[in-house]
Amino acid sequence: MSFVFSKENLLRIETLKKRYPSPKALCLPCLWMAQHQEGYISIDAIDTISEEIGIAPMEIYGVVTFYTMFHLEPQDKLNVQVCKTLSCKLCGSDEILKHLEGKDVKISHVECLGSCGTAPVMQIDDVYYEELNPEKVDEILKSLR
Amino acid sequence: MSEEIDIVIDSKTYHAKEGSLLIDLLIKEKIKVPYFCYHESLGPDGNCRMCMVEIEGQKRPQIACDTFIEPNMEVRSTGKTIEKVRTDILELELINHPVDCPTCDQAGECSLQEYYMDYGLHEAKVSISDKVKHKKHVDLGSNVILDQERCVLCARCTRFTDKITHTHELGIIGRGDDARVSTMPGRKLDNPYAMNVVDLCPVGALTSKDFRFVQRVWFLQTVNSICHGCAKGCNIFIDHNRVKYQDDVIYRFRPRRNDEVNGFFICDEGRLSYKALQENRQETALLQGKEIREEEAIQEAQTLIQKYKDNISVVIDANLYSEEIEAILRFAKKINASVHSPLDVYIEESFKDDMLRSAHRAANYKTIEALHIDTHEPKSSGLLINFNHPQNFNAAAHIDFLTHQRDVPSLVFPIADYTENSGTLTNEDGILQKCEKAISRNLPIPTVIEILLKVKV
Amino acid sequence: MRECKIVSRKFDIPGSHTLEVSKAHGGYRTLAKMDEYSPLEIIEIIRESKLRGKGGGGSPASAKWTLMPQENDKNGKSDKPSFLAVNCDESEPGTFKDRQIISKDPHLLIEGILITCYAIKAKHAYIYIRGEYKQFQDILQFAIDEAYEDGLLDHCDITVHRGAGAYICGEKSALLESMEGKRGHPRLKPKHKEPEWFFDNPILVNNVETIASVPFIIQNGADAYKAYGTEHSPGTLLFAMSGHVNNPGVYEAEYGTSMMAYINHFGGGIRNAKKLKAVIPGGASTDVLTAQEAECATLDYETLRSMKSALGTGGMIVMDEDTCMVTVLKNLLEFYHEESCGQCTPCREGTGWTDKLVGKILDKRGTKEDIEKLLEIADTMNGKTICVFAPAVATVIKSFVSKFRDEFEVAV
Repeated sequence: MSFVFSKENLLRIETLKKRYPSPKALCLPCLWMAQHQEGYISIDAIDTISEEIGIAPMEIYGVVTFYTMFHLEPQDKLNVQVCKTLSCKLCGSDEILKHLEGKDVKISHVECLGSCGTAPVMQIDDVYYEELNPEKVDEILKSLR
Repeated sequence: MSEEIDIVIDSKTYHAKEGSLLIDLLIKEKIKVPYFCYHESLGPDGNCRMCMVEIEGQKRPQIACDTFIEPNMEVRSTGKTIEKVRTDILELELINHPVDCPTCDQAGECSLQEYYMDYGLHEAKVSISDKVKHKKHVDLGSNVILDQERCVLCARCTRFTDKITHTHELGIIGRGDDARVSTMPGRKLDNPYAMNVVDLCPVGALTSKDFRFVQRVWFLQTVNSICHGCAKGCNIFIDHNRVKYQDDVIYRFRPRRNDEVNGFFICDEGRLSYKALQENRQETALLQGKEIREEEAIQEAQTLIQKYKDNISVVIDANLYSEEIEAILRFAKKINASVHSPLDVYIEESFKDDMLRSAHRAANYKTIEALHIDTHEPKSSGLLINFNHPQNFNAAAHIDFLTHQRDVPSLVFPIADYTENSGTLTNEDGILQKCEKAISRNLPIPTVIEILLKVKV
Repeated sequence: MRECKIVSRKFDIPGSHTLEVSKAHGGYRTLAKMDEYSPLEIIEIIRESKLRGKGGGGSPASAKWTLMPQENDKNGKSDKPSFLAVNCDESEPGTFKDRQIISKDPHLLIEGILITCYAIKAKHAYIYIRGEYKQFQDILQFAIDEAYEDGLLDHCDITVHRGAGAYICGEKSALLESMEGKRGHPRLKPKHKEPEWFFDNPILVNNVETIASVPFIIQNGADAYKAYGTEHSPGTLLFAMSGHVNNPGVYEAEYGTSMMAYINHFGGGIRNAKKLKAVIPGGASTDVLTAQEAECATLDYETLRSMKSALGTGGMIVMDEDTCMVTVLKNLLEFYHEESCGQCTPCREGTGWTDKLVGKILDKRGTKEDIEKLLEIADTMNGKTICVFAPAVATVIKSFVSKFRDEFEVAV
């Protein structure tokens, strides 16, 4: 197994284990740590987590594929996640998506981000960008380069 | 909670344990109820939603696999409402199904097909191009092939590797109509019981590489038998067929439920043991490697027995039927031979596990013990008559009764194997079990008993 | 319209998310009040207040609380610790209220958690937060860290548990499956009333806003809470508005407020002076209302139920006269198609099929039979699954097709 949790993450895992009735509850927390550490969740990381928390690798793999925010491959491009659900759609998410076409980013259509009052919205990494229009999108992308 | 109570199903009264599962009662009483995900060995999961019944006092139809029997319960398993519900859910089950029955090995024993005839007969409303596409041929390993498009996601196979073998190779990935059964990337289904998932699969999603495209199931004849792979005595079905102009052939072994012995399953090694059984059969009598007629062989045997009178040992294979062993004992007594059945040779500790596989790889060693047969090797003797025991022993002369070819320069009689004969066995737990005769060869091979009756001593 | 800020009282104060500002404005003072009552008395006050769950279902909060074991009983459940799970998996389209609480007044939530845990004898609370809310989670975590430092959490732990993108995890049993490290599949419902279970330990699952309402009720009494709202829907809700309104956002109002008065008063009316066409009253999974229906609607559980819709989360999605309702239904079905957990056949296959059918109608490739088929599938999806996801989709489909049938027929 070539994946090893960082010392800091190992410490967090030990702390978290005391906070749950079963180490299995650490499945999502560990997957998040692995994804932050490597940028994606490798099969090696799944094996390491399996040993750490006592859930079979296949079960963890099933979990990873159930949740949309986990990646099994490295993300080489900026992942621009545009909310396409109703309120954003009513307020112009189509225009944002069209504007993003051809730009050197990965465009992901995601479901409701819970930011309907400030539609249209997109998320890049962990940050929301709200009340978007094409000019604002350009500024944001420029600032992230 | 475990009191026997009355329950009314379709206006008829039945007895059942309070708190037990309704679907178990329906299955036991052979009341028709369709289901994919429920399996008596795996328990309820409630995902397929097919086993809907109406329960008096409940607004909506309920699934029988998640209904516990209560006093004064009144159930309707038929009627317009329930049939419509089943028809509608089945239609949803079928919309993404490829309907490739003509090339599917499950055809003929497929729950989807069966229920379609009972409740379905829908017109196709989704054109082929609109169906969700998945992989049609995934080699899961252990002789199991997965067709994700035929899968109804009942999760029986994944629950089998989670709850029964605890090997966790299979799981469901993705979600919604993108969900599918899979292994970890680069990993295989790999456990000694893996092929049971093929039997568990209610549709043609999991098929056996060994059986794929070999025979349509409706041509097969089925016979009850016992696996001879070890002393557990797992109950099996032998599926065989005589294709025109060819010989009667075994196409597969399948587990046969016996809660006392093997439950629902058998190990893969036992399941596939039918193959070796049909290879390298000893079909004719031999003398020093040369074919001879049976009468000649009997003559030769009688001469040998006469020549080595009072200096004869008999060795018996612990896989023979009890009736055969007893006949051999009678014969040995007549010719005044010592009788042996060395059992050490059958012990294989590495084969043993905590599910079904026993270290004693002899189907009837308990009978050998019960008859107080000497389990030591015979001392060097003049004539050694070996009834298919796997070991070779030193002696001045040999007579071998063999089911399968062996390199012995002696007098050889071919004998029927257990699928060509009927008889009883006692398994390692002392349970007496019967095997039926499955195979009738175009040129029959005599049984041990038939030959012994012809030998005049 | 009467101003009523029960949960949002401190929202507009600068630095409201910090312990200092919170305490300066009365934060945590109810903990002293709490000590005057026994746990059972707290539950009794909550029962009297008729506080209803604010996650969408609207059932009385106290009903779930009373299922939590108060005494060590002899039925083998004795030494199992009780837990609280706060549902912050806010994912219902049109709903963005809980994020206001955790980012603008997280200490109110913590205070509510402490009181709730006291009442149900839990020593540990988890806050299950949707994975996308990381930036709000950070604010919440900061507040929890402050509370730890201040000694507020000496006898009761709070752990934030981050989800990872799955709408269905807002369903309480799917949430617990997710917390147990599994795929978020809703569990089969128990036959008799019992608590939820977290690794075989009793656990109470409540929405963020429900818990955040608790301090006001304990501080001021059940009657003070019932002074707002209607008889059966007492109190307030962080109603929200999005879509074609001038001032979308979250504004607390009492139950029973007229829908149009709310939209006009807080939302400033329909955008670009257009006419109203339809309102989805409480998150995507509630039946759409026509403009005429919206005129008569008041924002309480009973009225909306009588209109064959539901109050849901109170997140209204407002649509103007130019909106194509076939497009809207297609958009919602794409959401459900993407988010179905895939466990039950009717939902797994039904969401995909209805999405494709409406897509076909939208592309003008549909037939009249497709509309009928759509309604038929909706019937099959209703009432035959483990959780209420599929039934919600079914009624959404039916409401759109029946109320705007002409638009569907024009499209075929």
